[in-house]
Amino acid sequence: MIGREDLPVLAAGSRLFATGAAESSFQLAVDWAGAVLDTPVELVAAGDLPPGTLCVAVSLVGSTTALGEQLPEGQEPARAVRALERRLGRRAGAVVALNLAAENALLPLIAAASLGLPLVDGDGSGRVFPLVEQTTYTLGGVSSTPLALAGPSGELVLLETAPDRVEETLRPVVLSFGGWGLAVCYPMEAAELARVLVPGTVSLLLEAGRPGAPRSVAAPYGVRRLCEGRIVAVEGSSGHGADVTLPSAPSSIVVEESEGLGRLVRLEAHNEIVLALADGAAVAMAPDQICMISSADGVVVDVDKASPGMRVEVLVLRAAPAWHTEQGSALGGLRAFGVPL
Amino acid sequence: MSGPRGAVGGAAEWEAPITVAELVNGGPLAGARMYGAGESPVHQVRIVDELAVFSSVAPHTAVVLIGAAASGGWAVEMAMRRAWEQAAACVIAPVGAVGAGSSAVLSDRLGITLVFVTADPLVTAVEVASAAARPAAARTQLVARCATRLAEAGASARRVLGVLNTELPGTSVAFVDETGTRLAGRAAALSSGAASGGTAVPASGLAGRDPAVPASGLGGRGPAVHPAGLEGRGPAVPSSGPAGRGPVAQSSGIVGAWPAEVVVRGPAGEVLGRLVAGGPARSAGWPSVVRTVLELAVAPLAAWAATERLAAAGDFALQSALAERLLSEAASGSENLEDAAGSEVPGSLGGLEASDASDVPGNLGGLRDSAASDVPGDLGRYDDPDGSEVPGDLGGFDGCDGPVGPDGFDGAEGSESPAGSKGGSGARLSGGAGALGAPSGSGRLRGGRPGRRADDRRAGEGVWARAVALGWAVRGPVSAFMVRPSGWTADRQDSPRAGEVIAATLGGAPVVRRGDGWAGWSALEPGELAERLGACLRALPWPCAAGVGTPVTGLRAVGESLLGAEAAAFLAGSGRVARSDRLGPAELLAAIPGGVLRAPATVVLRPLMAADREGTLLETLGAVLSEGGAVRAAERLGVHRNTVTARLERIKEVGYDLDDPATRLALHLAWHVISKG
Repeated sequence: MIGREDLPVLAAGSRLFATGAAESSFQLAVDWAGAVLDTPVELVAAGDLPPGTLCVAVSLVGSTTALGEQLPEGQEPARAVRALERRLGRRAGAVVALNLAAENALLPLIAAASLGLPLVDGDGSGRVFPLVEQTTYTLGGVSSTPLALAGPSGELVLLETAPDRVEETLRPVVLSFGGWGLAVCYPMEAAELARVLVPGTVSLLLEAGRPGAPRSVAAPYGVRRLCEGRIVAVEGSSGHGADVTLPSAPSSIVVEESEGLGRLVRLEAHNEIVLALADGAAVAMAPDQICMISSADGVVVDVDKASPGMRVEVLVLRAAPAWHTEQGSALGGLRAFGVPL
Repeated sequence: MSGPRGAVGGAAEWEAPITVAELVNGGPLAGARMYGAGESPVHQVRIVDELAVFSSVAPHTAVVLIGAAASGGWAVEMAMRRAWEQAAACVIAPVGAVGAGSSAVLSDRLGITLVFVTADPLVTAVEVASAAARPAAARTQLVARCATRLAEAGASARRVLGVLNTELPGTSVAFVDETGTRLAGRAAALSSGAASGGTAVPASGLAGRDPAVPASGLGGRGPAVHPAGLEGRGPAVPSSGPAGRGPVAQSSGIVGAWPAEVVVRGPAGEVLGRLVAGGPARSAGWPSVVRTVLELAVAPLAAWAATERLAAAGDFALQSALAERLLSEAASGSENLEDAAGSEVPGSLGGLEASDASDVPGNLGGLRDSAASDVPGDLGRYDDPDGSEVPGDLGGFDGCDGPVGPDGFDGAEGSESPAGSKGGSGARLSGGAGALGAPSGSGRLRGGRPGRRADDRRAGEGVWARAVALGWAVRGPVSAFMVRPSGWTADRQDSPRAGEVIAATLGGAPVVRRGDGWAGWSALEPGELAERLGACLRALPWPCAAGVGTPVTGLRAVGESLLGAEAAAFLAGSGRVARSDRLGPAELLAAIPGGVLRAPATVVLRPLMAADREGTLLETLGAVLSEGGAVRAAERLGVHRNTVTARLERIKEVGYDLDDPATRLALHLAWHVISKG
């Protein structure tokens, strides 16, 4: 069960490796969750649900900053879930997260609380990817559509398209909503979810978010420290050659290792850090997650906020095994980010 | 690399694989930005558009990045890493591929040469491939270009050296005299032994930076850690192939006589000096190429020497000024020629004639009388402490109020002491004081600021270089000489003619106006010098006498030799040459001005002369005293011994006691004075 009292812990856990979190938006999500958590939400393992239970994934789509500016009216989860239910002709029996980075760990909880549904312990990523279809659900053959998107001004869009068209179709819609929307997608039965889920990750966050818990607890498949050093240059990257659609422009962060060999570590970022080179040799790459933790305050440094002079620790989180398959690399590996390696 | 090849060593060197540095220095990559030493030979070229291609890249390949492989800093860095693993020769990337200098830093860390080109990489690839496939042809191209540039440079040591140092980038060339002193060009050429195989000097802004130190923009960390050390650590390093291989391994195989050296001979076949090229020899073929180019420069340098001689021969003022400058520098000890780095032939060489050059000697005379305060200003310009250049305005000597400027006068500030007591440089320039080359004149003027250096460098070809071109002795033992008019006073218009004749008969020697005559120095042995001066006296259109000083060890001490030469010339009779090391009592006696002794001598000899109408007694007296006895006196006079004895009796009869030493000395002195007059 996740009650109001668990909220701070979950919130802290959700930010241990999350990038791109806007402070005010995140606080808003926490407050929103606090408002709807009158009764605690049941946290269940996918396998413990009746196999035929319809499960839906909940995720924020668009800009997290916009969430803080264009305030939610509160019924977004309900409207979206109901829309999907109408389309499918079935009632949803559980809510699951698409990924568990910052707001995205809270919104499924909000949806579950709003609708009185249990929350499945797990997520579709094990980490965070920028695209809706970059999930283990997709890897498992589950379609992200039909997808219902609810906007803060009462908008509701039901999207039905081939999964590889979702991102492109959603983006202009989200812009017209004012920057963000709440998506309910990947409708599937509990038995299927149990097969494609990265399990137990919500519990991990609750554990890792406790004061004093080591950060590594939040990394189910292990985390390693790439280096600690100082950012010496942030270069606009001239692109990675391939033509991919990603929300932000590529950039390149050069970190000079302050210990050991004093290597020159180049973090190639496209929406997130997708490739780490140490003296020209690739030492980490997507689908593993690479993130910079500020040495000053232990907070994850957003790619866009990196600036020369900052001292950072570069960590690499190993992705779920599903990501390390051929299929997984195609969906969440370097090439998905336009790096032709 | 340069394995057993053709029988002819030279040819094999020309065919030795071309190195990256050569490509950048004078080949198809000329002007490209290079990071790293570039010592690796290039055997072939590979165009790489994706990293996967690297697995089939052979060692000593120049890797040209295009497309995705050049699509950003990360791609170039990965390419460099892979290139390093494959022991490639270098990575060539389009200049836009990388924004900041971090790739350059990585180049240092990995020891792999990185070249940025502005041209289309595909075109570059073809050109590099062509050079790599036919190294001899590529080198020949460089030589041909050098030949063209040298032809354009014309007969100027400075420009010739300029061409050599520009067209052979990364290699330093200097022109040195026989003792190894640099006359023009770069000092680095002479320290090449240490520099060999050392730091690369890219043509870029990185020049001079120690390549082992990463670019400062990325933090002044210590020397690069050899990336081999990475192998044991980086878990994601794709290959362990390169472990243990050092970048140094690529530089092995550099052979050939290095630094390269070529002897430069003057118009008459005499050795003027040597051209020395040094710096990192980055390929087996490079020394041969450099030597060939140096040989191309020999003819222009010989022509330069001939031109200088021609110019100086026709211009007494010019060569005289040059000689003065040389003396003052020798005296002030600035023979180290620190900045003899070549410079322009003075723009005023031609202008000198226009600026009333024939006035020079006259003005030198004028300086003797003028207030010393005038002089130091000018001299200050010549006594540049470290400069060895002829100042741009030689006219400074001819009093044409040239750009003496505040510089010159500044140098004179401390001039009171020596100038006051010794007549300073005025005295130095006046023959009588004979202070030529004495340190007094210049030492005090050496306070000049380094700022002048640059001016002087711009202004003139190195004074020592020009002296060498003129065939003057600037090293080793020299003897001074002096030629002075006997019985007439030389006009300043006579100087050019005198200078010409003297220089011609001595075979190339500096001539300066000195006192009432002309002085100079020569490397000839004193006997030979005296003989040639004899010929000179016969060739001169006026009656003159000449003196030769004792040999001294070097130009620095020539002032001492000149004192002797002046004394000897003073004593020598008209048409005769006296050597200061052979001066006898007669010469010493004669050193006393004739007018002073003439009256007392007449008094001493009057009784004898009264009795001796034909002068036979006086002649006999002189012969006996000079020869030390009647027998030899008889031989000298060509008379019988008894005749001499008889004449001596008559002299005694007049009243002289020839047995009294004092009387003999008085008579002897008086005889010298009277007979000489």
